[in-house]
Amino acid sequence: MIKVHNLQKIYGKGSTATHALKGISLQVHPGEFIAIMGRSGSGKSTLLHLMGLLDSPTSGDISLDNRKVLQLSTEEQAKFRLSHLGYVFQEFSLISEMTILENTYLPSVGLGKQNHHRDRAQNLLQTVGLGERLDHYPHEISGGEQQRAAIARALINQPKILFADEPTASLDASSAKIVLELFKRLNRELNQTIVMVTHEPEDRKYVDRVIWLKDGLIYQPSVSPFSEFESALARQLPVPVLFDKPE
Amino acid sequence: MGNLRLAAFLAYKSIIKGSRWTLTLIILVMSLSFANLILTPSIMSGVTDAINQEQINTLFGNIVIDPPSDRYYLDHADQIQNKVAQIPGIAGVAPHLNLNAHFEFNWQARTSLQDKDQSGDWPVIGIDPLKEAAVTTIQQSLIAGSYLAPSDRDRIVLGVDIAGGNQSDNQAFLTLGGVRVGDKVRLTFPNQLQREYTVKGIFKAREVQANNMAFLTTPELASVLGPGAVNDRASQILVRTLPGSDDKQIIADLQSLGINGQIRSWLDYGGGVGGIVSSFSVISSLIGGIGLIVAGVVMFIVIYINVGHRKRQIGILRAIGINRSVVLTSYLIQALLYAALGIIFGGIILGYVIKPYFDGHPIDLPIGLVSLTIDMANIRNGIIGLLLAAILAGIIPVLNITRESIIKAIWGN
Repeated sequence: MIKVHNLQKIYGKGSTATHALKGISLQVHPGEFIAIMGRSGSGKSTLLHLMGLLDSPTSGDISLDNRKVLQLSTEEQAKFRLSHLGYVFQEFSLISEMTILENTYLPSVGLGKQNHHRDRAQNLLQTVGLGERLDHYPHEISGGEQQRAAIARALINQPKILFADEPTASLDASSAKIVLELFKRLNRELNQTIVMVTHEPEDRKYVDRVIWLKDGLIYQPSVSPFSEFESALARQLPVPVLFDKPE
Repeated sequence: MGNLRLAAFLAYKSIIKGSRWTLTLIILVMSLSFANLILTPSIMSGVTDAINQEQINTLFGNIVIDPPSDRYYLDHADQIQNKVAQIPGIAGVAPHLNLNAHFEFNWQARTSLQDKDQSGDWPVIGIDPLKEAAVTTIQQSLIAGSYLAPSDRDRIVLGVDIAGGNQSDNQAFLTLGGVRVGDKVRLTFPNQLQREYTVKGIFKAREVQANNMAFLTTPELASVLGPGAVNDRASQILVRTLPGSDDKQIIADLQSLGINGQIRSWLDYGGGVGGIVSSFSVISSLIGGIGLIVAGVVMFIVIYINVGHRKRQIGILRAIGINRSVVLTSYLIQALLYAALGIIFGGIILGYVIKPYFDGHPIDLPIGLVSLTIDMANIRNGIIGLLLAAILAGIIPVLNITRESIIKAIWGN
């Protein structure tokens, strides 16, 4: 589903150059729900942006759904994002001038799917618990509801991969839990592939696998970086999956 | 088609749910810009029209019938006038008998024949006062005394620049030096005949050339030329057409009457004005061009600020896969809509506020009363100019933002 090979990203030039990613290679399998974790500045958001075609790498290669997406033109990448990828951003990212329903079906209009897009958007909003909020504007609903609407929007074109960049960072604990459980349901019930960046240790319990980043490289911690949470997690959860899912 | 539909949807939502103040400000800027684009050339056209109208009113009428090129006079002048009067659209016909004469004032005080003081050469025109009133407006421009009556023989009406005095714009030495109503002037005609006339009236028209003319009745001037010399003859016949008439059609109708003379539009005599008109066109184009640039820059700034506030939303739209061209088209639609609304409201401001004001309070310039002359060419140029300015002002800020990376547009880094 996702194949990343020796991905590098350098910001700036010369003495001010910053190596955000120093050669990342990874694979994400269909139906996987993975988390990318690491300290601030480790390169996790950069990796997500590159895999999601929101930014261009300095070098390396990315295949999404068996397509060498870096070879696509800007316009083709935009169309690929629209048809194959879904995004949920950290901050609430709805278009303020549109209702929740309009925000949700907007990408399907972009794809030219004129038929039933409103019905599908309504169904998705029902699924994420916003059936009563269709005609509300973003400023009229809570942050958690906005994020759920953003998830519905991300799913409207039935994307192959859903990217989420710290989707719970701006939410209170109860809203964050609702969003993460929604992701888990999507993953389990629809077999939705999800790649999520998070820095919340407790989010690990929702995912199949964690990819740890440190200083722009993937690493395998011998001891969890979140050791202070480990005992608590151990009491509640199965052992976290830290490695590739067996074929 | 799907992209256009989406662009239209984005534009619609942006306008309907966007800031009312921003929308109002943009439309206000567009409206005033459009009004300004039309106003300046319309004032220039108004100035030109005022000059033209004064020439028609005081010198030529709308159409001039001249003798054949090899003759000094039109023969059968009465017959020509009767024929002309039959044509639809004619308001009046006035025959002129034109001569040049040497004018003298206070000639009794001259000590030598070589003394030129208070004298000069000017044209003197023989008219039928009643017919003349239907063609020219000289009689409405009197600043002293009264106009000629058909029976007047020893009375003369002078242009202010012949009479001189305080009201004349000419230097004193170019005039008779202050003739007043009731004073006597002596005219020496080309046949050396001298006659004295009492000044019955002095007029001041807005047309300078007219102020250098004097008027006698036709019988008086004919008597100067000798019995029978100009019987049923005229130097020119001026024709006034009704407002809104098609002068070209009337000229064609007149030419079909078989008149033995040259029939011309007043425009053919307006050579001096042509230069002014073309100069005004250049000035008008310059002012209009500067106005357009100012309008474009103002629109650019307003739209740039507006788009700047939507930078993150543009980034999000692009992130979810909305094509850059859709975003551009959406803002293009908005810019064109702003321009269209500006044209409509600007047109209303012009048509229902500025134009009626100018009609009621024309600018009183020495060349005439200047109102607005809004012609289709000015309107067309204004519409095209504003649309182009709106397209550029609307597209360039969005082009800049959509050239930025998506990440930078959303998060500003």
